[in-house]
Amino acid sequence: MKHLKLFLAVVGLTLCFTAGAQSQDAMRLNEYLVINTDDFQDDFGQQNAWFELFNSSYGTVDIAGCFLSDDPDNLKKYAIPGGDVMTKIKPRQHVLFWADNQPYRGTFHVAFDLSNAKEIIFTKGDGKTIIDRIPVKHDLGENVSFGRIMDGLGSVDGSGEGWSVQERTSPSTNNALIDKGAKPDRMKAIDPYGWILALTAMSVVFAALIILYFIFKAIGNANIKAGKKRSAASAGTDVTKSAYGEVPGEVYAAIATAMHLYQEDDESHDEESFVVTLHHTDRTYSPWSSKIYTLRQTPSVNKRR
Amino acid sequence: MEHIIENLKQFWQFTGFANFEIGYLIMIIIGCLFIFLAIKYEWEPMLLVPIGFGILIGNIPLFAGLNVGVYEEGSVLNILYQGVQRGFYPPLIFLGIGAMTDFSALIANPKLLLIGAAAQFGIFGAYAISLALGFDAAQAGAIGIIGGADGPTAIFLSSRLAPTLMGAIAVSAYSYMALVPVIQPPIMRLLTTKKERLIRMKPPRPVSPTEKKLFPIIGFLLTAFIVPSGIPLLGMLFFGNLLKESGVTKRLANTASGPLVDIVTILIGVTVGASTQASQFLRWESVKIFIIGACSFVIATFAGVLFVKFFNLFLKEGNKINPLIGNSGVSAVPDAARVSNNVGLEYDPKNYLLMHAMGPNVAGVIGSAVAAGMLLGFLG
Repeated sequence: MKHLKLFLAVVGLTLCFTAGAQSQDAMRLNEYLVINTDDFQDDFGQQNAWFELFNSSYGTVDIAGCFLSDDPDNLKKYAIPGGDVMTKIKPRQHVLFWADNQPYRGTFHVAFDLSNAKEIIFTKGDGKTIIDRIPVKHDLGENVSFGRIMDGLGSVDGSGEGWSVQERTSPSTNNALIDKGAKPDRMKAIDPYGWILALTAMSVVFAALIILYFIFKAIGNANIKAGKKRSAASAGTDVTKSAYGEVPGEVYAAIATAMHLYQEDDESHDEESFVVTLHHTDRTYSPWSSKIYTLRQTPSVNKRR
Repeated sequence: MEHIIENLKQFWQFTGFANFEIGYLIMIIIGCLFIFLAIKYEWEPMLLVPIGFGILIGNIPLFAGLNVGVYEEGSVLNILYQGVQRGFYPPLIFLGIGAMTDFSALIANPKLLLIGAAAQFGIFGAYAISLALGFDAAQAGAIGIIGGADGPTAIFLSSRLAPTLMGAIAVSAYSYMALVPVIQPPIMRLLTTKKERLIRMKPPRPVSPTEKKLFPIIGFLLTAFIVPSGIPLLGMLFFGNLLKESGVTKRLANTASGPLVDIVTILIGVTVGASTQASQFLRWESVKIFIIGACSFVIATFAGVLFVKFFNLFLKEGNKINPLIGNSGVSAVPDAARVSNNVGLEYDPKNYLLMHAMGPNVAGVIGSAVAAGMLLGFLG
């Protein structure tokens, strides 16, 4: 029992850590601006370089404890502080960091700027595992940002695949405008007659049920083999017992009686037609339904001696 | 006296007679027709009576601002309607369906699963027709799900993809489910030969309790991993079935398959009916949805029966499947299976197909939930 508890605790902790790590893996560097002269201002009314992280998952991610850096040789340049609710990033939302080298101004002001940065690197809490990185371009010009074409999509290895110069800056918001009806509209544009969706979806439906078929075919075969073994082992000992794969005559008799009564349309079924009801006769005990627990205690008389 | 007359005039303004429009009368007639069909012919009475009466409730002409209508925020009917609008009634119904469904026929003969998959062509056939008739892709997906012949799934998906069409889609789905005994038999007869209709299938083998317990767990994990967007429906369906088959949660299974599903059926039926207010329902789109709905049931039946005939080409003599159970791939449980059985009995009074037909029938429930998940993934 002690070992079981220990095992469960270890499994539980492992799962917790794995889950946490996996969710931080979903964070993406999404956009950055190096030369800010006439763009977004911070809370102090100053215009500095900024970069954006995007939570590409569908769950909230806490980035407290992770690291940001502009130097591959020093990944721990800025540790995102804990104890700030703002570090919990909602699903598919963005968070903006100011690269002003003034970390005392708050959680979202990092300890480096982008003027000489080689790249921006986002690292896990262990300070070693890089989640995402992107080289910094210094030739973009004033107030021009570089970002992912579609939020959260593209490279995480610094190759810059899926990134491009943005038509307009979009700090703390989507790089690509998302129209509510965009997905269905895109689908209709790609597949105006519905055949692509039909074939894709039917393939998935068939695939799911074919896999289920194979699994239960295998389980069924194993079960029949086991039943035959049991049947062979008990052969000649008790004729009333049957293994799986054989149906006792009593079952057929009961089914035949039920079908007969049903077809005769007598009182074997309740008020609804087409329903044969076999009533349970057993009374399973449960303290929840026991009347004795709902009664008050019987008063007792203490006799004096 | 003048004061009394003034009050009476004001009272008149509040009555349904003063606010009457011809649309309400049409809807009231439709509601009465539903109730008549349910009572006289026993066509899906559990659904058509609540929906029919819901239509009456929703089509009493109202003085605006009384805060009693289903679309008036905060009204009692509106609060009950949230279960439809936010989609939490359908998963609860699936919980009940899972707790009352015996998957033995399917486990004993798992190849019947494929018939349940084939019949989902009805959904995508209807999707293609809807696109051709000018609906946008999200609306087409919601309308297409009528072909799954599964009311809760239709409500669930339409509440997400096309909330404005939900009333028409739900009423259409439930109406055609009630009409399964009318729609399917002619198609089944048309597509099969007399020899095929007389095929006798092997009795299904008994299924062990372990297999029954494993089915909901493996079934859920597999289907949910493939289509996570179907989790609300698939999760509750298989969870309900595990309650039934585990053998240790008898009371929970009884509640899920009895009182709970009854309560939710009442609420979903009445509120869906009430949502068909003439102003929302009597539109050209609703007529188109009804036409597409009929087509989807026809396509699903065609696909199911033809798939069995095709499948039989690869099966040995003695293992062949009676194509009359092909129609059961739609998930109208157990009506479609009953239709297979009844049509089969017409040609061979001793050939009971009910148990065999229940296999594709419950596979249809799984298939339509997976298909709904796909539509939600692509269009949601």
